[in-house]
Amino acid sequence: MTIELSNVRFRYPEQPHHNLLDIPTWSVPKEEQVFIHGPSGAGKSTLLSLLSGLLSPSEGAIKILGERLDQMSGRQRDQFRAAHIGYVFQQFNLIPYLSAVENISLAARFTQQKNTRALNDEIEELLSALNITEKSWYRPTRHLSIGQQQRVAIARALINKPQLLIADEPTSSLDTVNREAFMKLLMSRVAANQMTLVFVSHDPSLSSYFNRVESLNNISIGGAWL
Amino acid sequence: MTLTRLALRSLLDRKGSVALSLMAMTVSIFVLLGVEHIRYQAKENFSNTVSGVDLIVGARTGSLNLLLYSVFRIGSPTNNIRWSTYQSIANNKQVRWAIPISLGDSHKGYRVLGTIPEYFQHFSYGQQRSLTFANGRAFEQVFDVVLGSEVANKLGYRLGDTLTLAHGVAATSFSMHDDRPFTVVGILAPTGTPVDHTLHVSLQGIEAIHIDWHQGVKTSKKPLPLSALEKAKLQPKSVTAIMLGLKSKMATFRIQRTINQYNQEPLSAILPGVALSELWQMISLLENTLLLVSVLVFAAACLGVSAMLLSSIRERRREIQLLRVIGAPPYFLFVLIELEALLMTLLGSLLGLLLLAGSIMLLGDSLVPYFGLNVEVNLLTQNNVYLLGAIIGFSMITALIPSVTGYRQARVIQD
Repeated sequence: MTIELSNVRFRYPEQPHHNLLDIPTWSVPKEEQVFIHGPSGAGKSTLLSLLSGLLSPSEGAIKILGERLDQMSGRQRDQFRAAHIGYVFQQFNLIPYLSAVENISLAARFTQQKNTRALNDEIEELLSALNITEKSWYRPTRHLSIGQQQRVAIARALINKPQLLIADEPTSSLDTVNREAFMKLLMSRVAANQMTLVFVSHDPSLSSYFNRVESLNNISIGGAWL
Repeated sequence: MTLTRLALRSLLDRKGSVALSLMAMTVSIFVLLGVEHIRYQAKENFSNTVSGVDLIVGARTGSLNLLLYSVFRIGSPTNNIRWSTYQSIANNKQVRWAIPISLGDSHKGYRVLGTIPEYFQHFSYGQQRSLTFANGRAFEQVFDVVLGSEVANKLGYRLGDTLTLAHGVAATSFSMHDDRPFTVVGILAPTGTPVDHTLHVSLQGIEAIHIDWHQGVKTSKKPLPLSALEKAKLQPKSVTAIMLGLKSKMATFRIQRTINQYNQEPLSAILPGVALSELWQMISLLENTLLLVSVLVFAAACLGVSAMLLSSIRERRREIQLLRVIGAPPYFLFVLIELEALLMTLLGSLLGLLLLAGSIMLLGDSLVPYFGLNVEVNLLTQNNVYLLGAIIGFSMITALIPSVTGYRQARVIQD
């Protein structure tokens, strides 16, 4: 299993009597691509933050790739996230004043100890595979189109060869043409790298790309006041 | 991607606000280093100005005034000392040597000192260093002149050149002794003291150029011929001050008391070291105040940088979130913001140092005639290195405010 959740509850400190998420049990096998949909404010992004170790659950156990995330220290979770989890956001996936190559090498900084030459070769290979033209590699990413930025974001998420890829509404700022191209590219890379994908969106039309579709309401019985 | 490169790129991305904060930092470091450097140089200058002189004697006045006009050539004497008094003091059994000096004339803003040839033998500066000649020799004839190194350098005089003196000490004088030119016979090696900015002539030379003068005005339109001058008795009637070397240091206070109680005319005798300390104490009060003001200016600039970095954290919330997601621990943000403050301080220090060095090169010479202060361009003194260390330390401490805020934000980051 890539993801195993049992009796996970999450409450924000500002609302100590309100379980935003209450997940009795939920799991995702290796290499499965899960599409999670749900209304805004239901806790989709919070679930992803729990899965990536940015947040700790108020109660319960979170096991990712066989490791108990909830029992790790903050530093251990940071290292685990850098080594095993890729993340793509809706927007602001990149530091705008850095180039595509710099953004990707920054993501590699927190894990591998490769030499600069080997890392640059790997980055250039990845950018070429994602159809990003060479002239865009060293420009600040703020000068790239939204479509190009999202492709660089995939490259950034893939550089450490993560086993779990988390995508938080990555297509919501793209037009129809770019959205289709992005999804095809993403799914092909996920398949090629044999990754597990957890993809969150409120757009149900994207569900056709996935082999498992779930509503957050079916995963979590949260939202109840204690 | 190194952390330093990331910090630099981040600063460059906010170049508008960073440039303004950097300017404030540069100016404050310029002021702080400038005050400290001038304070240090002044102390060095003051303490090295005179040594080996046991007592300085002048007309009754305050010790600081006597020290300023006799050693630093600043200000004017209240009165002169009669020649007979000089002879009486010089003949005291405890006095090893007595050098009379006569001030009052100038050349292109540089002071002229009338004295005797033994001045070059007995006057010393720094650690008992005697005056040495870079070129030529001491004056022997009435119209010989020996130049301080700076006078020769700045005015481009060489041995054998002639020059005329002006009556009074103003840079521009209308009363010229242009009928009696002096010939350069010696140029002294640099000393870093007011000697460098002085023209040295014999007491007879001073007498000779004033022979037709009465109360600062030339009374005869037709100057005495040189042959007549040589025949005239060029014995000075008075001198401005006397520098004394004593046979025994133990006798210093006794001789000082004797001179202060001299009943033929009112005199003051001062110990140069004690007067220098008094002068330094007086000046250091002003300088400490200046230093305090410049420290406050620097503190304000540091807080300005901190405020800029703090406000940038709000703009960089998404950036912080992104860094966290890719595995950056919260302390990475802390170090990144501290590093940004460090880079700004280092750059501000470098610019401040360059600005100060440029200012000293441009304006340093103008400090000499007004304050007798010779400021060196070499800024990498031990004091300045310590001060730069303190500057960096202080800016790191003030940067803790945005750094800790960034760290805390990184810990609780949540979309």
